[in-house]
Amino acid sequence: MKDVGKDNNHMNTLLAKERAADPIIGNVARGQNFLNGLLANRRIRGAVVASPLLVLLVGFLIIPLSNIVWGSVEGTKLNFAHYARIFSDEINFNIMLHTLKIGLIVTVLSLGAAYPVAYLLTKMGSRAFSIVSVFILVPLFTAFLIRTYAWMIILGREGPINNALIWLGLVSEPLPLLNTTFAVIVGMVHVFIPMAIFTMYSSMARINHDFARAAQILGAKPVQAFVRVYLPMSLPGVFSAGILIFIVAIGFYITPALLGGPRDAMISQQIVTQMTTLLNFELSYASSVVLLLVTIATLFLASLFIPLEMIWSSATIEPSNRKISERSRLLSGAKRAFHPILSLFEAFAHVVTKRVLTQQSRWLWTYTTVILVFLTAPLIVVVLLSFSSSPFVVFPPPGFSLQWWERLANATDWHTSFLFSIQLGLVAALFATLIGTMGAFWLVRTTLPIKRPLFLFSLSPLMVPVVIIATSLYIFEARIGLLGSFAGLVIGHVLLSVPYVIVVMAAALRGFDRSLESAAAVHGARPLQVLRLVTLPILKPALWTGGLLAFLTSFDELLISIFLLGRQTSPLPVKFWGDIRFQLNPLLSTASTLIVALVTVSILTAQWIRLRHEQRTAISASK
Amino acid sequence: MSTSLEMKKIQKFYGALHVVRDFDLYIEPGEFLTFLGPSGSGKTTALKLIAGFETPSGGDMLLGSRSIVDVPPYERGIGMVFQNYALFPHMTVVENVAFPLTVRKAARSEVEEKVLRALQLVKMDQYRDRYPNQLSGGQQQRIALARAIVFNPSLLLMDEPLGALDRNLREHMKIEIMRIQKELNITVIFVTHDQDEALVMSDRIAVINEGRLVQVADSKSLYYSPQDRFVASFVGESNLLPCRVNQIENGTGTVTIAGRANGVARLSGQSGGESGWLFVRPEHVDISPRGATSTAQNVLDGVVEDALFLGEMTRYTVRCGNETMTVKQQNRGQPHFAGKTPVTVSWDADRCTVLH
Repeated sequence: MKDVGKDNNHMNTLLAKERAADPIIGNVARGQNFLNGLLANRRIRGAVVASPLLVLLVGFLIIPLSNIVWGSVEGTKLNFAHYARIFSDEINFNIMLHTLKIGLIVTVLSLGAAYPVAYLLTKMGSRAFSIVSVFILVPLFTAFLIRTYAWMIILGREGPINNALIWLGLVSEPLPLLNTTFAVIVGMVHVFIPMAIFTMYSSMARINHDFARAAQILGAKPVQAFVRVYLPMSLPGVFSAGILIFIVAIGFYITPALLGGPRDAMISQQIVTQMTTLLNFELSYASSVVLLLVTIATLFLASLFIPLEMIWSSATIEPSNRKISERSRLLSGAKRAFHPILSLFEAFAHVVTKRVLTQQSRWLWTYTTVILVFLTAPLIVVVLLSFSSSPFVVFPPPGFSLQWWERLANATDWHTSFLFSIQLGLVAALFATLIGTMGAFWLVRTTLPIKRPLFLFSLSPLMVPVVIIATSLYIFEARIGLLGSFAGLVIGHVLLSVPYVIVVMAAALRGFDRSLESAAAVHGARPLQVLRLVTLPILKPALWTGGLLAFLTSFDELLISIFLLGRQTSPLPVKFWGDIRFQLNPLLSTASTLIVALVTVSILTAQWIRLRHEQRTAISASK
Repeated sequence: MSTSLEMKKIQKFYGALHVVRDFDLYIEPGEFLTFLGPSGSGKTTALKLIAGFETPSGGDMLLGSRSIVDVPPYERGIGMVFQNYALFPHMTVVENVAFPLTVRKAARSEVEEKVLRALQLVKMDQYRDRYPNQLSGGQQQRIALARAIVFNPSLLLMDEPLGALDRNLREHMKIEIMRIQKELNITVIFVTHDQDEALVMSDRIAVINEGRLVQVADSKSLYYSPQDRFVASFVGESNLLPCRVNQIENGTGTVTIAGRANGVARLSGQSGGESGWLFVRPEHVDISPRGATSTAQNVLDGVVEDALFLGEMTRYTVRCGNETMTVKQQNRGQPHFAGKTPVTVSWDADRCTVLH
């Protein structure tokens, strides 16, 4: 209370016009004043806010990666023999080609399947949108491992597909669906469709449908309006989604390892095998560098056509009125050449689709429902299997029982894994949110001219294939003695989840009305008070979203944990990974069901928080 | 509690851009002063300098007798209404208004009392627990005003606060703001590009153009005796005709208007033989049929180009050689001149001034 009196006094003296030098200012919480004073200096503030992020990225990504590159040529020996082995050895080279081929197929299929859904999402009412988006978000945030496990059941010898085919009498023997390239592709497409939908949706949502309407009133048939107006405007979004999927796909580990056969090995599996079983470190380094170079080349190519940050956060770049470059002149030349074919196609498509298109996009809804079923059915299979009475993975289950739930309730190894995962996730999310939020503040508000490259750099953990991050950190942490420690594990998880926090917070900060901070400051709030009372509360939904994303990233993370774990308790994904390969039983379904339920609940909660927040702070934007 | 504000040779550079030049201004305690200027003239920057969001590149600024150049915004004790109101979207009306007091850690009873008083002053006390987005634009404006005055600031800054309101509401809020200013006897600096707002509300108006204070004067002298062409054309409507000064007799001079007619006008420091611009307000110009005799010293012949009937008056555009003149005539039953009618326009010597 004494403090209050002092502060009042302080305020009054401030307001009193005559007293020039105010002796009380120095008395009020001297420490805080010192901090406020420091924060008032823009450079110091920038350094304080930026350093955790920079230390993390340089110390635990750039340096380990440089070690790998250095190691791949055996340091100063500059021995390129390992690279030669990759390209001369037929097996190694074929693995490369196979990786690229799978990546391409999966990318094209995911984009094609997802485009109509993303398009429909832009046309939906807000209620329909929140329902449909839950059906996409739940698969999106369910661990790759669980989704892959579901496909192992579905495609298995006694899975629903084989059982149905036999029941229909179409085949007499179960088809070997599992451990084929087909299985890999189906599994990966299933993994990437939700990603494709949301990436494309977020850029397509900004395209005003009035453009297409305007085209129609000007005489374009619906097909023409779509092909000539909407589609070209949506292409950057499609392209960026494609790049995202491609670079994740070529570094993918879980799905090809579990669903593919021996001939379906992809480069990431090779890297892991070389490092962990064959102990051929240099070759695995070289493979890593090749994979990294392919990724960088892809991104470089992409950067010629779209601003790169668009791939991860569509909210950043507005298409500016670009100058007409050589390239686009070339494109328009090509367009002119193709024009007759295009017209023919349009006329044909118009005749074919005329009848369907008039029915208020019913066919789009039908298609979307099919995709949603495709996305959620595997999860439902997993849930149903958890109530199976059979000791084996048979679908449909022969009967109902709770035996697997009882088993799970008594399985202490699962309990400790679960608790450890939660603990790890919370700690990682906490640090990621802290570091990411500070970093986002710096990245958005810095006046440095290299703002854009810095932002891209901060997203680099998303660009580098996870398998490379995992192996390089493994080597690096072993060298500095962090390997196998909780801190070492947390660092790996934070590194992976920090970019998500940055993307979310940067978008929120860009939309943040800075006059609110000015208003707080002029009405007497010190920098820390502004942060605590105004900035952070308004950014709260974004903070929760970022934190949740970070938590889920850590909760789902497998590769980094495998490499950095040491002798600690296995987190859930590692436990899962171990069991899936040695004893495929319904207990995994039960554990998965629990996780799916948790994910669903957290997504519903997040949606609810977002809705409530939007209702309250639709802000003055409505006016 | 009102305080004076003095700006001494205040400068602000953005890189090589000189956005505020040589601001020398003394604002008296309790005065309502308006910064009036076109967009990009530097008026908002000047306001930011006063609020402390920007640091001046040179000069000094005194709030009362205390220099505030190095004082951060949160220690200046200034109230401010922002252009978009900047109400905190996550706080209720009460929390918003209480903000300046809570960050200063005022006692709860004091906060309650002052918030209630401020809300009563802006007639918003029944909206206490709403969130800003549940209020209309005019209501948000009132809350922003309440928040800015609740802690008895020494100075109140208003940055184009009426810009987002519709016309009727704007008229109403003008009166409200003036009432509240008088009631609190608070020093106000008001920024606008709208001359009507400036003329109605201000004790004095500081016209700003290209970063410079062009003229600081009360509404009437600004309107009737603008100091230069910019002020003349920016504040109210005006006719500016090229002219040359011939002879000078105690403050007035004989002039040649547009190279075709002789007249008499007040001078603003010109010497004989100098050319300038003859300034006359449209409502001070009479219009009569060609050939009618006039007692006015300045007479020009012309042809009506356009006649707009506006109800209480008619607005003529009259072509006189190369120049066009705007004439506003109260409608009191005089003859109406249709287009292409030859007319004579005339005005008295003491209604017009030669400007540089």
